[in-house]
Amino acid sequence: MWNRRQFLTRTLKGASLVALNAIVPQFVSRTAQAAAADKDTILVVLEMAGGNDGLNTVVPYADDLYHKARPTLRQVEKRVIRLDDHVGLHPGLRGLQSMWDQGQLAVVQGVGYPNPQRSHFESMDIWQSADPRRTLKTGWLGRATTEFDHNSGGVPILHLGTASLPLALAGAAGGGAVTVNQANPFRLELGGGKVEQHKARRELLEALATAPSEASEGDLVSFVQRRQLQTLTAVEQLRELLDGPNAVPRQGSGLSQRLQLIAGLIAKGFGTRIFYVSLGGFDTHAAQGPAHETLLDDLSNAVGAFFRTLKANGHDHRVRLLTFSEFGRRVKENDSRGTDHGAGSCLFVAGPSVKGGVVGKHPSLADLDEGDLKFHTDFRSVYATLLDDWLGCDSKAVLGATWNPLKELERRS
Amino acid sequence: MTMPLSIPTLDQLDPSEAWAPWQPTAGAPWNRKWAAHLYRRAAFGPSRADLIEAERLGPQGTLDLLLGGRPNAEDMTATLVDVGDVAAAADDNGEQIRGWWLYAMLHSGHPLREKLTLFWHDHFATSLDKVQSPPLMFRQNSLLRSHALGRFEPLLQAISRDAAMMIWLDASRNLKGKPNENYARELMELFSLGVGHYNEQDVREAARAFTGWRPDEAGGFAFDPRLHDEGTKSILGQTGRWDGGDVIRIVLEQPAAARFLVRKLYRFLVNEQAVPPDALLEPLCASFRTTSYDIAALVRTILASRHFYSAHAFRQRIKGPVEYVLGAVRLVYGSYGEEEADYRPLPQRALVARLNAMGQCLFAPPNVKGWPGGPSWLNTSTMLERSNFAGALAMGLLGADSPGGSNVAPEGRDRSDLRQSGFPVDTSEDPVPPLAFDPARLLEDEGLSRPEEIVSTLLDLYVPGGVRPALQARLTAFVADGAPTGQALSRRVREAVHAILTTAEYQLA
Repeated sequence: MWNRRQFLTRTLKGASLVALNAIVPQFVSRTAQAAAADKDTILVVLEMAGGNDGLNTVVPYADDLYHKARPTLRQVEKRVIRLDDHVGLHPGLRGLQSMWDQGQLAVVQGVGYPNPQRSHFESMDIWQSADPRRTLKTGWLGRATTEFDHNSGGVPILHLGTASLPLALAGAAGGGAVTVNQANPFRLELGGGKVEQHKARRELLEALATAPSEASEGDLVSFVQRRQLQTLTAVEQLRELLDGPNAVPRQGSGLSQRLQLIAGLIAKGFGTRIFYVSLGGFDTHAAQGPAHETLLDDLSNAVGAFFRTLKANGHDHRVRLLTFSEFGRRVKENDSRGTDHGAGSCLFVAGPSVKGGVVGKHPSLADLDEGDLKFHTDFRSVYATLLDDWLGCDSKAVLGATWNPLKELERRS
Repeated sequence: MTMPLSIPTLDQLDPSEAWAPWQPTAGAPWNRKWAAHLYRRAAFGPSRADLIEAERLGPQGTLDLLLGGRPNAEDMTATLVDVGDVAAAADDNGEQIRGWWLYAMLHSGHPLREKLTLFWHDHFATSLDKVQSPPLMFRQNSLLRSHALGRFEPLLQAISRDAAMMIWLDASRNLKGKPNENYARELMELFSLGVGHYNEQDVREAARAFTGWRPDEAGGFAFDPRLHDEGTKSILGQTGRWDGGDVIRIVLEQPAAARFLVRKLYRFLVNEQAVPPDALLEPLCASFRTTSYDIAALVRTILASRHFYSAHAFRQRIKGPVEYVLGAVRLVYGSYGEEEADYRPLPQRALVARLNAMGQCLFAPPNVKGWPGGPSWLNTSTMLERSNFAGALAMGLLGADSPGGSNVAPEGRDRSDLRQSGFPVDTSEDPVPPLAFDPARLLEDEGLSRPEEIVSTLLDLYVPGGVRPALQARLTAFVADGAPTGQALSRRVREAVHAILTTAEYQLA
């Protein structure tokens, strides 16, 4: 007997139309039924694209060296949200204060990897593939979905956004991660005509997407064909949730609206366990102050509201949100009142399941690596903890090595 | 990439043979398959008229036409640019210049130049999101166009002094004693050398050399000697009191520069999946260097080569949204030209909106690295947009729901109702599209009535070079079902065209 994952994988690779027709209604009902399980843990990953200034996110307000390095951008003690005697959150993160106060926010400091890349693209790929050697063409989240059982029907990962699929999601189980652009209807549009005409056209599209190819799996024709079939299937799977009379309401496509859609899908029992959203604009080379504050404000309000919605629906305990960015920024601000590309940075893990607090020491400002903070925690330790402890899958299989877990990020027992 | 056994791998190819001009033979003739292939790479795909003309002209004649443009292209482009200046001045969100460029791609008479302008836009990816000035973005676009087939060094010198670029990468923040590395880094990483061919120290020193460069108030270039660091800089092993122009010279003296650019152009024109060995590209790199980076000569060599007309290139790229959309428009709209009696203007705004939804918002690439391209064009959202666009185009509904862009009479039909209601939608028949926009006109043009003939004619036009046999059989069964005639047959043909535009074969360039 195949297990469900194998079954779905084979079906989505698409050898026969008959199989597709048989499977679609089941997908829909499975997706809906996953509510019954209602126990699976869920990870939401929030990418902060452009290189977030970690030093002005978790601010070492008590360190004179910080104030010297940041004459115009510095955040003084009076403004920050104090976390302890040494560090505080940027005032733009006020939206996260209540989660911090309730012990639901872990602030992980000094995260990075050896020989840091200062190119956005190289470093982003490293974080997303979890492979500093840059040999893997798949992502850590994509690989994770092949390692755990999920009730997600054919949607192992849902990506909400307009950009192309992030590398982190590449290699996902079944047909792969599904992208929904919130600004557009997720519906196959066939214009006017009768129901049976639409049915015949839909079947034709499915047939063309499943017609056997003589070429190998790696062939481009096969790739496009699989993507086409995955799309037709995903439209069916998500139809009731996104497009029917009882659809999750969708308004706008900002970060908060995207997170609210995720909260709505979770509340409807949508079985997907990994969601991915991105917020751009963190490449603050110049006039950083107001821009960075606005971004952090958006982010923290969106995340705060997301968990409030989850809580109102009783799902907050099974959701964690991880933030990350490709790198931090140079310690010393530049003369454009901005900051240039740096290295080691901080990240957040949020949710009621988290033991709130500051994890790890703030990297020293006296001991820098070419003007950048030194990291002490490899980002793959964060990933490993979330994979093993939170998602319940084998991190070694996903990351290719065993990484020491961060005990502080393990579930409250 | 797995190839059939009979085809040598890239490592096995003899580089000088590979780049020698291709000569058609009786066994491997010049035909629609290769004409369409050339038009997909060197332009935005062929119209039916282009294919007929190309078969007559042969590969060299067709390539000459593409490289030189049509006789009226220079006039046409100059006129278009004048119009574009006016449009850009009145543009507040980029919609005018986006629509303008799509029009130029279709109507300038020099699609290869527009195609390479798009290549350079992706290479020197600058976004309106930060520049915030459609006129400056349009000026950059004109700059790229005028250098698109010129030499690379003047292009790089000019783009480095371009106002939109200087705003985009913070030139005016790069001051003596207070360098901002943004431009210097991207110049080396993305515009000329690639990661691994410079170090952090080179970036810092190059940033010093560019100090004092800034846009002036009129959107031109200004050099402020008071802000320029006159000191000695050491860049890529050369030490002197360099300025920005020197940095560009030094960068282009690196052997890595030709390799980086040739490799990128290879991805664009030949194959984006394979990673060709350096040895295969070396003849191109060598002549690119000895011709002072003559872009047109390089493009000609590639597009005339045996390698280009081989399985290593055929359908080895995924169409980008612009290629997908304009290619479909040129096929569906017959010989699309203003001189046609039943010509109707395109709903530009509708096209712009569709392209945005497919992930290619012109003048707003996602970041300075440009669009990642290749398989990343296709996710479930963008794939759905392609299918929905193809359906609207083939059924003559494109722009029917966009204000000002209507090309069919929307009488008695409120498309917004359609959008609100659930799927499937049962409505009255779609209206018959005007002749200029009707792919079913082929029935009349070619005197077709049998389903087998209809489908093979459609495939020969839309996907020359063949499709999987099962596809042809399935499409034929679809057209034949219930033996439709008259308007019902025309509608069936439109539906079949929609389906063909969604096939994997059509999605490949």
